[in-house]
Amino acid sequence: MIELENVSKVYQGANGEVRALDDVSLSVEKGKFVAVRGPSGCGKSTLLLTVGAMVRPTEGRVLLDGEDVYGMSVSQRARLRAGKIGFVFQMFHLVPYLDALENVLVPTLAGARGGRPEALELLERLQLSHRLHHRPAELSTGERQRCALARALLNRPEIILADEPTGNLDPDNAAQVMQYLGNFHREGGTMLLVSHDPLADQYAQRVLRLDQGRVQ
Amino acid sequence: MSVIRLLLREIQHRQLSFVLGVVTIVAAVALFVAILTMCDASQRETIRLMRNLGFNVLILPKGTNMADFWSEDFAEQEMPEEYVYRLAESDTISIRHLVARLQKKIRWRDRHVLLTGILPEVHMEQLPSKAPMGVAIPRGSVYVGFELAQSLSIGVGDTIELGDKPFVVGKCLGEKGSKDDIRIYGHLHDVQEVLNRPGRINEIEALSCQCEGKRLPQIRADIARALPGTQVTEYKSIAVARAEQRRMVESYAAFIIPVVVLVSAIWIGLLTLGNVRQRRVEIGILRAMGVGSGRIAALFLGKAVLIGVLGAALGFVLGTALAIRFGPQVFPLTANKITPMFNLLSWTVIGAPLLCALASYLPTLVAVSQDPAAVLREE
Repeated sequence: MIELENVSKVYQGANGEVRALDDVSLSVEKGKFVAVRGPSGCGKSTLLLTVGAMVRPTEGRVLLDGEDVYGMSVSQRARLRAGKIGFVFQMFHLVPYLDALENVLVPTLAGARGGRPEALELLERLQLSHRLHHRPAELSTGERQRCALARALLNRPEIILADEPTGNLDPDNAAQVMQYLGNFHREGGTMLLVSHDPLADQYAQRVLRLDQGRVQ
Repeated sequence: MSVIRLLLREIQHRQLSFVLGVVTIVAAVALFVAILTMCDASQRETIRLMRNLGFNVLILPKGTNMADFWSEDFAEQEMPEEYVYRLAESDTISIRHLVARLQKKIRWRDRHVLLTGILPEVHMEQLPSKAPMGVAIPRGSVYVGFELAQSLSIGVGDTIELGDKPFVVGKCLGEKGSKDDIRIYGHLHDVQEVLNRPGRINEIEALSCQCEGKRLPQIRADIARALPGTQVTEYKSIAVARAEQRRMVESYAAFIIPVVVLVSAIWIGLLTLGNVRQRRVEIGILRAMGVGSGRIAALFLGKAVLIGVLGAALGFVLGTALAIRFGPQVFPLTANKITPMFNLLSWTVIGAPLLCALASYLPTLVAVSQDPAAVLREE
């Protein structure tokens, strides 16, 4: 269960304060698929990173399964991410010098569950068995995102936080990626998805609208 | 996936940056090893030269006024030429080169001239003969100083008269910028005849006095015993110059090595900083996945240490090879003593990685302290 209680996040910019999140309160129950929509710069990515134990809010609390995320130490938060959360980004963020299989195995550096057999199984499920030893530069954009998705799934996370995962993909690949995210949700995972893609609404059980840092 | 595997993969991917780092350390370590190996040879060489040089002493007639001697460059008093042979037969002092001289200031062609008669070197019988250090002027021949030759238009092959005796000019000497420019050198026995001082000399130069463990007072006493009626003074300038030269080499090494170390450290630090900047997103994503600061730091410090170890090993080999290849040309006397200094290998293999790790410390701090969320948000 994800809970945000009166969360605000203020950045100090060159031109003064930027209020990325403004008194946001919401809860996402375990196993739910929630999409967050809104215009560019409305605070969607900040919301995702705040939930992902990456951005400490200026005010308010973030609770994961009842635990105050920012009451934890830095290393406890790192362990939390390694154990419970998977990230998927619009720009994939694969390590450029590792091949597909090695990229999927990167979370094991943080002590994530899963190893080579699980990585191979995931890559097969995501139809990347023929690309195991290809580097990101040798993969198509769709393949890169599927590889990033496999990486996010390796530690069998309870939550996937996805930031515009289909933003760089053509419709076919976007549909395929959404299908995999839908599968994760169907298998019991909690999904928090930030997307402009209307396709997301088909999978989401709940759609939140964010505007100027506030949930509408 | 392990830190080592990630580290090796990254090195494989960004080979140029790694090679630049290794080359920097190879160059620094090679210079360090070559300088120290050569310094060692230089010290041995200087010791050998100093030993060969021994003491250079000047034996003068007793009662010589040293103030007058230094101002005139010769002693008014005289002593028997036989002294030089007596010294050569002495069994208490070992002197490599003995040169007897008779010098007087004379008026010749309306100018003051220092007429110097030199006896060809006398060698001590118990010592192996060595190449003569002085000049051996044939009888009937003279060497003319630069100033005299120039002002009187004297050339090689000319015949000049000294005390009604004709002499052939064997050499016109180059400019020395000293009293040597107004000297005429001849064989001792010729000069003795010209000055009408047969069998007389006024100084003996004893070069490379091999007096193991003895200092000047002892040498003075030994010579006084062998040659009563003489006094001894030491030429210190050559020995001092050698010592200064050795100190100069040492201080040069003491200056150049820290500069090389500092420049290498700065370069390695900049390379690591560049690497950190290049890998901002990668660091961000690793942090997002829960990889801790220790492992992130290990990625950068591990690479620095690897550069240090590899650079140290290759640098040691290169530096030693350079010293062995070129050292004998620089230090021919102790050439066969220029050997690899294996104790330097352990120093460099420990020191270079430590230096690289220290140089990479600040960039590594930058890496672990960067806000991953800021990077991921920007992207």
